[in-house]
Parts: sequence; C-alpha cells; structure tokens
Amino acid sequence: MDELQINSHAHSDALHPLLEARGVRKTYSFGSVPVEVLNGVDLAVQPGEWVAVLGSSGSGKSTLMHLLGGLDRPDKNGGEILFDGKHISVTHGKRLDRYRNLDIGFVFQFYHLLPELSVFENAMLPGMVGSWMTNRSEARESAGKLLDSFGLSHRLVHRPGQLSGGERQRVAIARALVNSPRVLLADEPTGNLDTKTGEGILDLLAQRHANGLTLIMVTHDPAVAARATRIVKLANGRVVEDA
Amino acid sequence: MCVAMVVTVVSVMSGFLDMLKNSGRQIVGDVIVSSGIGGMPYTDEFLVDLKGLTDVQGATPLIDTIGLLRMPYPLGNQKEVNHVQVWAVDPISLATVTDYANDLYWKPAQNPAAADAMTEDDPRKNLTDSILTDGKTLVQSKTGNPGITLGIHVSIGNERQRDGSYRPRYGWFMPGNDVTLTVVPVSSQGKIAEPREQIFTVLNEVQTGIYEVDKNRIYIPLKEGQRLLRLDEAPLYDLNAEPDAQGRYPVIGNTPARVTKILVRAKPKVTANELRSQIETAYASFANRIKADPARTASMPNVVNILTWEQQLRDLIAPVEKEREMMRVLFSLIYLVCAGLILSIFWSIVVEKTRDIGILRSIGASRFGVMWIFLRYGLVIGILGSLLGVFLAWLVVTNINAIHEAIGSDAPPAIWIGSFVLTAFFAIGLAYSIWRGKLLPILLWLLATLVMGLIASFLALHHGTLIWDPSVYYFTTVPDQVDWWTAWTTAIGGVVFSVIGAAIPASKAADIDPVEALRYG
Repeated sequence: MDELQINSHAHSDALHPLLEARGVRKTYSFGSVPVEVLNGVDLAVQPGEWVAVLGSSGSGKSTLMHLLGGLDRPDKNGGEILFDGKHISVTHGKRLDRYRNLDIGFVFQFYHLLPELSVFENAMLPGMVGSWMTNRSEARESAGKLLDSFGLSHRLVHRPGQLSGGERQRVAIARALVNSPRVLLADEPTGNLDTKTGEGILDLLAQRHANGLTLIMVTHDPAVAARATRIVKLANGRVVEDA
Repeated sequence: MCVAMVVTVVSVMSGFLDMLKNSGRQIVGDVIVSSGIGGMPYTDEFLVDLKGLTDVQGATPLIDTIGLLRMPYPLGNQKEVNHVQVWAVDPISLATVTDYANDLYWKPAQNPAAADAMTEDDPRKNLTDSILTDGKTLVQSKTGNPGITLGIHVSIGNERQRDGSYRPRYGWFMPGNDVTLTVVPVSSQGKIAEPREQIFTVLNEVQTGIYEVDKNRIYIPLKEGQRLLRLDEAPLYDLNAEPDAQGRYPVIGNTPARVTKILVRAKPKVTANELRSQIETAYASFANRIKADPARTASMPNVVNILTWEQQLRDLIAPVEKEREMMRVLFSLIYLVCAGLILSIFWSIVVEKTRDIGILRSIGASRFGVMWIFLRYGLVIGILGSLLGVFLAWLVVTNINAIHEAIGSDAPPAIWIGSFVLTAFFAIGLAYSIWRGKLLPILLWLLATLVMGLIASFLALHHGTLIWDPSVYYFTTVPDQVDWWTAWTTAIGGVVFSVIGAAIPASKAADIDPVEALRYG
C-alpha cells in the first residue's frame, strides 16, 4: 500500500474519502494498567464535509483527532489512517512532519499560541517551521490576509496575552489555515469560550467550510455539533451513531 | 568569563615563559660547548674554527666553576661568606654572544634630564662612565687591576624598589668594595688541590633577569680564573729526567691554557639546532686534527657536550612550561562547568517549554527542527560568549600593568567617596522597600547596601596591594601580550562545549511526544 506522498493539493474523486480511519484501536498504559481508548473506530470523511465528532469526556474523541492529525499512531495491528487514500499511520519522519504542516491544520481548545510571539508571528508560524516552504513571503502574505479577514489587522503586533479568548482562537484558526491545508481538525474550538464568542468562531468555521474546506470538529456540546453537516457520535471508543 | 579567565592566565604565563626563555638565551648564547672540570685545551684554535663558520656570529670561552665569596659586610671580623657560581670570562667576546654589557646594572644617567628624574637616594644619579667601562672590561681603570662583577642579588646590598630599580640596603653600595674569592682547583682526574683565593674590587653588578643567575653568579677575567684554577698555560716538566742542582726538572714544553665552556651565538635567522649540528661537525674535525698531531702536549677530553641553549637551560625552563600546561589543563576544566551551566539552563527551558515544543511539532516542525532551535542557541551563546571572553581577556591582558598599578595604589578619594554616596542611595532604597513591605526588594536592596558598603569601606581603607610586588617578585612589568593561539583554541573549545551542553536538552526536546506535551504541558 502506498505511503503518504508529497501533497499535490489535487482534488480527489468525490466518492473517495479524503481522510479515513479504518478499525482504529488505541490503548494507553497508565502504569501497568492498559486503558483502551479507541476500540475499532471506522470513519470516512469526504472532501468538503464538516464532520462533528460528538462524545462525552473520555469517549476518545481527542485521541481520534490526534490519530487523524498524525500526532499519534494507532496500536500495532490496530487499524489504519489514510489521507487521500494513502497511509499516514505507517508514515514517519519528514513525510509525517510535512503532512502536519501542509495537509492539515490543528485548532485546539486552549488555542496553544506561543506567548513570546506576536499575533502575526503566531499566525505565520507553520510557514516558518516547514523547511519545504520555499517561499516564506507567501506565508507572510497568507497570514496577513487571514488575520485581516478575521478582523485582527489591528492586533498584528500584540502578544496573545493581550487578546481576548475569541481573538486568540481566531489567531489559532489563522495559524491552522496559513498553509492552505485540505483538512482542518478542531478540538473543542469553542470549549473555552462563552456562547456568543463561540458562535462567532463557528460562523468563521462555517464560512471556511462554505469555501470548500473539509472540517472535522470534536465537541461534547450537541448545540455546537449541530452546526456541522454530519455528526458522528463516539462512546466507549466506538462510533455509535453516524448521521 | 571562562574563556576570559583561561586566556588571561595562560597569556600571562606564556609571557613569563617567553621572558624567561629570552633572558636564558641572552645569558648563554645559542649553543654551549662544555667539557668536564679538567677543561678543553687549544680552544683558541677551536674559536678560530668556529668564527670561520658562516652561521656563527660570535663565540666566547669561559670557565664555569663554583667558589666562595667573602663579602665586606658586616663590619668586624666575622664576614659573610656566600657560595657562588664563578664565570671566568673574556668580557669583550662575552658581550658579542650574551647581553653581558647591557646587563650591567649600574650605569650613569644618560643625560641631565634623566639624572634629574632620579631620586636623591638613587646611586645612579652620581655615577660616572668609568663604572660601566670597568664592568665591561673587568679591569679597574684607576689601578689597572682585574676586578669582579656580581649578580645583582649576590650581595645583600641591593634593595629592589617597586619600579624595579635598586637602592643600597644597610648602606652597602657594592661597587668599590673588595671581596675575596676562594676557588678549589680540581685536576682532570678529580683530585682537589690547595684552595686559592684572591681579592677583587667589585666593579659593577649584573642583572640578567633570571633570579637564579643573579643570585649566584659572579664574573672575573678569564686569565684570573685560569690562574686560580690552574687551567692556565704552564711549563711541562719531564718528571722522568734527573732534576738539576736546584731540584728542577727539565722543561720539555708548555701545557696549553684550558676553558670549560665555549658559548656560541648564531647569526640572525639561524636556529640553535642548525648551529649545533655545524658545531658538532666542526668540533669532530678539530679534535681529530689535535689527536693526529704528535707535537701536542695535551690530550682532548673524552666527552664534550654540545647543547642548544634550550637543552642547557632545560631544568630552568621545563618546570615553568609544565606549570603553564598544568594551568591550561586545570583552567580548561572550566569548560565542563560552562557546558554544565548551559545544560542545566537549557534543560529547565525545555521542561518549561514542553507545551510550546508540542505546538511546534503539531504544526509540522521536525524533530531535527526542534533540536536545531536549542543547538542554535547553544552555538550563538558559545560564539558570542567566546568572542566576548577573548575581547575581555585582550582588554585585561593589554592593560594588566595599569590594572596592577591601580590595585597597588591608594584608591582616589572621588571613587571611595562616590562609593559611600552610592551606599547611602541603596540604604534609602532599602528603607523605602521596608516601608513597602515586599520581601524580595528588601532582600535585594539589603544585599546591594551591604556589598556597596563593603566595597566603599575597602576602597577607603585600601592603601594599595600589589599582587606581584616587583620588590619581591623578579620582574618589573607583567607580560601584556595575548597568547593568540591559546585565545582562539580556547574560544573554539568554548563554542564546542556550549554546543555539547546544549545538545543533551536539545535531544530531550526533540524526543518530546507532541500528544503528551499538548495534553499535560
């Protein structure tokens, strides 16, 4: 089976899943006690979909997100993750770094911005860390445009500590999108925000989805999940509902 | 700081070593030909051979032996007697091989301005040219008698001052005083003859710059030395013949005069080793010529040593060289401290920045990319630190005499008064912080006040402490040339150890699991 190859940004066949989990199992060891977090998860996400992975705390949704994003690997013989038909669960090294840098974007519940960098520097960070980015001025331009479209052009030189929660999350989304990834993985993107601000973030995500971005969003809140085009319910490490 | 310390210490020590080597070469020439105590005959002919070599600038014969010197002090009959190294020399040719003429310490002031600059108690203020010319010839011009010159520290009469000059101690200005030299002639078979003594007038004193020499060596004319040691030309009697009516044996010839050493100076750009090879060849040829001549009344010594000045002075130079290398090694251990400091600081940074490292990994930073961040900082710290260290060392070493002088002098009133004013300012800060009630500022202001107060008190009470007091140590100036080879190798070492110190936390950072980092960081 082919491993992940260099991102072509080519559009796949509409019936061909863009990101797929096949029978994925993941077990963590806490001391000598193994805890099975995912127990054979199957999930296929088509290009342009907005999938909400809904589940309670401990259901394994963040773990699934990490596996889909190439931050972690399934257990040995614990299924496979495919991006655009190519395995990422057996990929490592530069190819995996490249996958995380160019093909996907991560948004976290707690923003995870670097406090020493300005808003602008945070937003263009993926363009700076990827050695394959031949044109950093493109990243700079892209970060500028995204922050401008998110209403943050007056905040470019500010530090994350000087921003509100909603502003920080918008910077985090700009950072996730700066390299024009094909999939955005959002882990509880509104979990740390008040309802109104959370709505604003969801509007922003909806806007990017409308422009063709594939979105996978993890949430425990059914109201947030309702904004997605498809809801996948996760319980005890398994997909229990897919609608 | 580590680099600055190593470079400063090693530069100063290298300077001392160079001073020692230069002085050493100036007192023995480039190559030394030496025989046993029985001496070498026919050296006049060998000197002609040597002067015929193209690479020889000068050569001089001498006798090197030991003797006892009866000093003119103290007053009364019980005079002090010192054991000394006796060099019986031809002063004129000695000056072409060594710095003997320049090393004569007592010289008249070169001009009235120089004389005016001298203090009243400086004997040089009132000296005449004869003291120098007498020292150079080892003949007292007033009487025509042979004289003696002493190493500047042979007698107790010279008290060294901070500026390196000398003043008579206990009223004893040695030139003009008589001393009695006793030597013991020893035959080539090692048999001791009756000791011989002679009174000499001290003509001048010699300062070579090497304490061991200046403490022990005296110079007398070669002829006097040969006579005293029975190494002069003498009639050769036929002891197998019948003595005449007065009991004298018939004379069948003369035994030639002998010397125990020949010092040779190389021409510029000729190394001592090159010259030594030439002299070995020349001596072999000379010795064969003498042996082949049946008319010669004296035989050549069985063993003659031909050594370069470095080989000859090995006992003097080697300990200082070893000391320098020891210092280099010991101070280089500071590198480990340097690497350890960087390691611990970077380790703390990596622990503190675990979450940020996780973020970087999640957005595509490679493991090497994360590692390179820390390695790069280690490299930058190493390069900047090393350059700064070399600069600091250069600043200290090139100004070391001024610094040394400043430490050795009273602190200017403006500085210590200013220090007390600063202490008062800190005390006000302390009072204010006590009023505010914050513990950390109280502690910091308290420390600042105490430290500044101590510095101000020290400066006010300080009346100068020379670390290397020239009246005690044997040099007037501290070497002030940076040893650039050491400087740059130390700097490179500093960079390498900084990177090594950074590599361990950098590897830890690269190994951080992004999921763990994001979850718990």
